[in-house]
Amino acid sequence: MNKYMVGVFNDEFDLVKAFDQVKASGNRIDEVFTPYPIHEVIVKMGKRTRISHAAFFYGVFGAASLLGFMYFASVISWPLNFGGKPTNAFPSFLVVTIVGTILIVTILTLLTFSIRAKIFPGKKADIVDLRATNDKFILVVDSNVPGFQPDKVEKLLKDNGASEVYLNVESPAKL
Amino acid sequence: MYNLQIRGKHIHGDKSLGRISTDIIAPIDDKTPLWWSAAFVVSLGLFGWGIYSMYITVTQGIGTWGVNNTVGWGWAIINFVWWIGIGHAGTAFSIFLLILRQTWRTAINRAAEAMTVVAVGCAALFPLLHMGRPWLFFFIFPYPNTRGPLWVNFNSPLFWDFVAISAYLLISASFWYFGMVPDFATIRDTTKSKVKKAVYGFFSFGWTGSSKQWLRFEALSFVLGGIAAVLVVSVHSIVSTDFAVSVEPGWHTTIFPPYFVVGAIFSGFAMVLTLVALMRKLYKMEDFITDSHVDAVCRVLIFISLIMGTAYLTEIFMAWYSGSTYEMYTFFRNRIFGEYAFQFWAMFICNAIIPQLFWFKSVRSRLWIVFIISILINIGMWFERFNIVVTSLSKNYIPANWASYSPTIIEIGLFVGTLGMFSAGVLLFFRYIPMIAISEIKSVSKYDKEPDLTQFLSHETQKNQAKH
Repeated sequence: MNKYMVGVFNDEFDLVKAFDQVKASGNRIDEVFTPYPIHEVIVKMGKRTRISHAAFFYGVFGAASLLGFMYFASVISWPLNFGGKPTNAFPSFLVVTIVGTILIVTILTLLTFSIRAKIFPGKKADIVDLRATNDKFILVVDSNVPGFQPDKVEKLLKDNGASEVYLNVESPAKL
Repeated sequence: MYNLQIRGKHIHGDKSLGRISTDIIAPIDDKTPLWWSAAFVVSLGLFGWGIYSMYITVTQGIGTWGVNNTVGWGWAIINFVWWIGIGHAGTAFSIFLLILRQTWRTAINRAAEAMTVVAVGCAALFPLLHMGRPWLFFFIFPYPNTRGPLWVNFNSPLFWDFVAISAYLLISASFWYFGMVPDFATIRDTTKSKVKKAVYGFFSFGWTGSSKQWLRFEALSFVLGGIAAVLVVSVHSIVSTDFAVSVEPGWHTTIFPPYFVVGAIFSGFAMVLTLVALMRKLYKMEDFITDSHVDAVCRVLIFISLIMGTAYLTEIFMAWYSGSTYEMYTFFRNRIFGEYAFQFWAMFICNAIIPQLFWFKSVRSRLWIVFIISILINIGMWFERFNIVVTSLSKNYIPANWASYSPTIIEIGLFVGTLGMFSAGVLLFFRYIPMIAISEIKSVSKYDKEPDLTQFLSHETQKNQAKH
């Protein structure tokens, strides 16, 4: 079973300070749990997301398929004469294309988000410390690395304002 | 970026993060207050009248309404446009103020989004019922059918409207819901009740608040916010094309799309103000919805009211300047001094004149006056839609076509029914959903600490300060 050292902080600024020092001391930070997004930590965790790239491609796909469908319906499948206007009425197709594309992007991006962030209705939360969604900032340090010195890391966390430090056997890596 | 001296604190009372959660979740954890139950029963009663009117409309037809061949659009379309307008506040609040980096939005955006979802739901009922045969509603979908296939008319503003409203409802509902996921997780992890833990646990989607989830959550809000910003402008522009594309006098103008969008945001903000005043008083949310928040919304309303006044005057000026007899007749002989003068002046006074009272700080700082003005604005906006829909239709080019319009009890019932539906929805929101975005307001609470400005001072000043 993997073991993790958990530092509990009361303040976002203490957490960021401790984060830097633990990292500088050569330890691996497994995950950080916070009640609200803290950009510094998110950037320093080194993860990137390509959700906005995905959204762009959904947009291209949505716009192309909507325009294509309207062209097919009004020019190829059943051309109707509306007061002598051209059957391929491109300018008035734009309205539906814009709004429909936004809808398609929203739905597909939400699905992508749910899949990548692994959240869906009824999922049981694998939570390290229940207070992380309320008022505490949780720093989880990987203690399975060879040469890990629990006393040293504990002191480092406490010196930087951790109100509690404990060892957790649960594996937050799956989260 | 955020100036405490100008705006005041986001949250009063130096609350800890834990205290912010408990204070916002309190209405969900407490017992149901008596006034809530009473208000809910009244709302359901009003909604019941609406259900009865819907039953009569569906079983007996549109003949039970006061509309006729000349005035084919009556209260139904007025109410539709009015509700959609109110529904614009959610996106305007969450997205425009997000783009403008207004951190004070965090106390209000959740309520505004909730209001949007309920209001758009109310709005969607009216075109559905106006079809006369709502069970054939699915004809509007462009699906391969056995009639040809005969597709829908993609050039018709009415079809654009259908696409715009359904997209708006789905998008604002999902934007609202995903914003709530972290807050549901907070309730799940703090509540002592097992039922609540299970229910909110189910809806919290297994949220943990890990940095990976926040990273993607932020990216998602960024993408959705960016594309939904288009909707704030597009939805009501499309609604306005229902009118502007036709050739009725008073409708056929290019001012309509911006005029409708601004009007929508105006009525939406006014309704938000009404709700916020209620939240402050009934749930004692004064620490979160501070005087400075109310003040900020009032200031926005002054600005929008000036645009509305300009739009009304522009319309009148253009009617005169165009030299068109029909335009002049509609504006001067039918609206300003004619049969519908009351509706015109109700609109003008409530929307362009009364909100100017917000220039005075003494008005902005009295919540009950703000509350009354916010309701007057919504009444004024309703009359604006009456003006547009009924006056133009009632007297168009051929006098032989002219007819008057007054609603029947069934039409009134439908409107009152949606008012009941709206208030019931809002009451449920107050009772079961955190009415302020907990995680968002926590993230701005740090700005309330006095800023450390020493880094901006020159070295000499710093040295001098150190000496003293």
